[in-house]
Amino acid sequence: MIRVDGLTKVFRRPRTFSGPFGALRTLVTRQYEEKTAVDDVSFDIGEGEVIGYLGPNGAGKSTTIKILTGILTPTAGTVRVNGLVPWRDRSANARRVGVVFGQRSQLWWDLPLIESLRLVGSLYDMPAARFEASLKKLRDLLGLDEFLDTPVRQLSLGQRMRGDLAAAVLYEPPLLYLDEPTVGLDVLAKEAVREFIVETNRTGRTTVILTTHDLADVEALCKRIILIDHGKVLFDGPIDALVDQPRRLVVLLESAPEEVRGVSRDDQGRHVFDIHGDLPAMIASISAEHTIRDLSIEEPDLESVIKGIYAR
Amino acid sequence: MTRVGFLFALAYRSSIVMTCVTLVAQVFLLRMIWTAVYGSRAEAAGLTLEALLAYLTLANLQSFATQTLVSRVIHHRIRSGTVFFDLARPIGYLRQMAAFQAGNTAGSLLLLAPVVPVVLLVGSITAPVNGPGYVVTLVLGYVIAVQLALLISLLGFWMLEIGAVSLLYQLVSQFFAGTMVPLAFFPGFLGTLAEVLPFKYMGYVPAAIYVGHISDISGPLLVELAWVAGLWALLALAWSRTHRRVVIQGG
Ligand SMILES: Nc1ncnc2c1ncn2[C@@H]1O[C@H](COP(=O)(O)OP(=O)(O)OP(=O)(O)O)[C@@H](O)[C@H]1O
Ligand SMILES: [Mg+2]
Repeated sequence: MIRVDGLTKVFRRPRTFSGPFGALRTLVTRQYEEKTAVDDVSFDIGEGEVIGYLGPNGAGKSTTIKILTGILTPTAGTVRVNGLVPWRDRSANARRVGVVFGQRSQLWWDLPLIESLRLVGSLYDMPAARFEASLKKLRDLLGLDEFLDTPVRQLSLGQRMRGDLAAAVLYEPPLLYLDEPTVGLDVLAKEAVREFIVETNRTGRTTVILTTHDLADVEALCKRIILIDHGKVLFDGPIDALVDQPRRLVVLLESAPEEVRGVSRDDQGRHVFDIHGDLPAMIASISAEHTIRDLSIEEPDLESVIKGIYAR
Repeated sequence: MTRVGFLFALAYRSSIVMTCVTLVAQVFLLRMIWTAVYGSRAEAAGLTLEALLAYLTLANLQSFATQTLVSRVIHHRIRSGTVFFDLARPIGYLRQMAAFQAGNTAGSLLLLAPVVPVVLLVGSITAPVNGPGYVVTLVLGYVIAVQLALLISLLGFWMLEIGAVSLLYQLVSQFFAGTMVPLAFFPGFLGTLAEVLPFKYMGYVPAAIYVGHISDISGPLLVELAWVAGLWALLALAWSRTHRRVVIQGG
């Protein structure tokens, strides 16, 4: 469905100068600073997949999504979305794609929510009957009724996000790009957004690319993740493979020796062992030789694994 | 999008009402000043006082009607990054923005309607000498105004800060439209400049046709059509160049 190959985007902006006449020099300069936001990224995404597209701030996630929607033209590389080149077949591509940018809204601030939805209906040539049917479904699914006639600027963040989700899926696109759709939401609102994504993916076989900084989103929604940093892909594969590691036993020993059974002391003075086989026996044999002050067992979790990958 | 533009005008009705008040005040002041200037003279530059007052009243009404909000909206949407969504639509960007402006103008006219009698009363009006000619040239003048506004707005994709430019544009276009002083009174070089610039089609030309100061409309009409066609081509060219280097703020 989506095939990205060697995608690279270099931003070029005039160098800024400081000091007296700095602004003027900035204006007339021919010197440019270059910033590689996306660097040789390749991946394939199949129909109906929900992909977590993750990375720290400034990794290049939003830039990738802007290229996939056809708004930005890449510096190098090829992209095919349903066989279309997004930035060349912009209009055809746009009809098949829904976008949410959690940081900003596609809703018209001063008008009631329903007007922005009507606008979307007309921009995507929806016949009245189809519009009404789709709206009806979304009203139930997202609970829009209580604020459909409220100007968007008066909505809470959670309500606004629901409105934005509705606007993105109103014309039933087979592909959804969700850039931080849960940013700033409380636990319940996040839960509602997640349920909506699951539902949309399930009933419409909608393919979803999701970027988020909340790994709970990823755990709830994605089977596969693509991790990027500094514009480069660090990992691409199923979450299971990433977290498929042994549980770990963490002990703090009274005497804090340099090394215990081939495991050296970490910077917090602890020893961390991978757990294989019989855990009670393992603890017993350690306590036979050392006095244990504290002890805990760590499940492998996405957050620590991802932290580990970023740190590399 | 037309609908959104229309609702936008209604949502901002208080600012439009303020503009209406300004309009009434301005027409009133212009009437006082020009009546004093004429004194006992019957006519100047081929215009009777009666025709001149009708001209000024009309020109000011027109200048209000052909005002465009679209550059401000575009500017705001570029700066906030919400222009992303406009560009992600299956319909051309300029088409969306033109539709917005058309709706917005319709909304403003609706709000203006009750004020028209007041303006006519404060100012002065005569029966049209050439009604159809007036309407046709005014509509084309409006099209030119929207095209120019869109062209200015495209600068925003290149500079990100166009507040000063659009303010300057507004001043220049108002002045050369002849809403304060009919172009017939512009001296020498200024007159020539006003003559070649397109702004006169938003104010002076239609109003002068209305009061019969211009009797042969075929000339202005042809030039207007040429402007519309030329600006159309220029917009298409400018947009295709702008398009390629679009940068959306923030992520
Ligand atoms: N218009 C632009 N001009 C210049 N550089 C840009 C522009 N937009 C983004 N960048 C740079 O490209 C890099 C990637 O930005 P991007 O917005 O894609 O990051 P992101 O992964 O979405 O980060 P975040 O998680 O913070 O949203 C950043 O270093 C940013 O400074
Ligand atoms: Mg981002």
